Amino acid sequence: MINFAYEVKPATQSWSRNALRLLACLTLCMVATMAIAKPNPKDEPPKFVQDVANGLLVVLKGDPEVKQQNMVRINEIVEQFIMPYVDFERTTRLAAAKYWRQATPEQQQALADAFKNTLVRTYSGALTKIDNSTTMEILPFRGEADAKDVVVRSSVVQSANTQPIRVDYRLRLEPEGWRIYDINVENVWLIQNYRNQFSQEINRSGIDGLIAALNERNSQN
Amino acid sequence: MAIKRIKHWVLAASVLVLTGCASTQGPENPADPWEGMNRGTYAFNDAVDRAVFRPVAELYAFVTPRPLRTCIRNAYLNLGEIWSMINSNLQQRHVEAINTTGRFLLNTTMGLGGCIDVASMQGLPRVKNDFGVTLGVWGVPQGPYLVLPLLGSSSVRDGVGTGVDFVGNQLDTIGLIPNVRLRNSLWGLEVVVRREALLTVSETVDRTALDPYSFIRDAYLQSRTALVSGGLDAQELPDYEDYEDVQADERALGITQETNE
Repeated sequence: MINFAYEVKPATQSWSRNALRLLACLTLCMVATMAIAKPNPKDEPPKFVQDVANGLLVVLKGDPEVKQQNMVRINEIVEQFIMPYVDFERTTRLAAAKYWRQATPEQQQALADAFKNTLVRTYSGALTKIDNSTTMEILPFRGEADAKDVVVRSSVVQSANTQPIRVDYRLRLEPEGWRIYDINVENVWLIQNYRNQFSQEINRSGIDGLIAALNERNSQN
Repeated sequence: MAIKRIKHWVLAASVLVLTGCASTQGPENPADPWEGMNRGTYAFNDAVDRAVFRPVAELYAFVTPRPLRTCIRNAYLNLGEIWSMINSNLQQRHVEAINTTGRFLLNTTMGLGGCIDVASMQGLPRVKNDFGVTLGVWGVPQGPYLVLPLLGSSSVRDGVGTGVDFVGNQLDTIGLIPNVRLRNSLWGLEVVVRREALLTVSETVDRTALDPYSFIRDAYLQSRTALVSGGLDAQELPDYEDYEDVQADERALGITQETNE
């Protein structure tokens, strides 16, 4: 009997401990799945953008290498958490405007790659400033239900007590779902802001000249 | 012989000068007819900035902890709200004016003199405003892009606006302070604070712009247009003509396509 009593006590203890563990695990799992809820391009645009941003924020907040501006790591993160949801060819094509047609497929590819690296550098500075107080709030969506080209508006607070920054995303509905192709930071659309620079450089030294100029910028630090 | 050689040199030099001119000119941008002069002023401003303003701003950022810098910056922005509210009223944007007044009252009291931007946290973000925007709302066209010495990006309209802003802004805030020394120190600090807030922007431009001059110009013009039209939400989206779509449409319609530019 005594033996039995002895057996019971540790058993209840371990049961409650297990229950605790299970609970802890469940919460962790839930947090983890919430964090890595893979953005679904077939969702409504605001939810899709929110998921992309959340995924990115979670990774950035927990990564010391980003803070040190390790470009290899930043590029990895961009490839994994941003590029799948962006129609980058379209971004480059629209920035190159009428010159896109004059470029060979190889030039188009090279231009898109060079431009992508430029933009990663553009935003890498902002990415390193993200800390635990960084928040992004999606503003009420104004797109029409059947629109194929919409804007998702958001307000980003980079760190405590600083002025919120308005960031908008422009998306287009493609066969595989929504994809982001332009971004607006504080009233300035990205594509629009690169159009003149692109045409200026192409007029001066051709499409290869533009690619070279972008790559040259990218190799500087 | 000697004359012939000099002729050659002159010829070579003029060719160099002419091609040099040609390469900087390119096709004229209708928004920036004074590009040559503007680029000159831009280069001057950039040199002064690198020699004076930027180092001072960097020093300020280095010695002042970030929360304090944010606080000081917010306090200056808060002072600017009065003039901003007057402009909203001049533009008949009364909702905006009420928003700005509310911000000013809330931040001055609860936000300890503007140091803490309580209003933004309550979902009342700041509305940027100035007299250039007011003129724009009244129908005055932007006019040619103009780089002002030391002040930077502007236009004929916004340049006039900046002059009025300077008077208007001081009449209701720092300019009221009778102590000359204190007043001038506060103005001096304001310049440093404003420049410091732009440090990351100028770093990014340095790192990534193909041509910093046109990058800054185009960003300035886009942002001014948005402000005059009443912010991003009131504005039409840029219509990027997608040449790929045109091609696809033409293919679908069976129009054979010869490549023209």
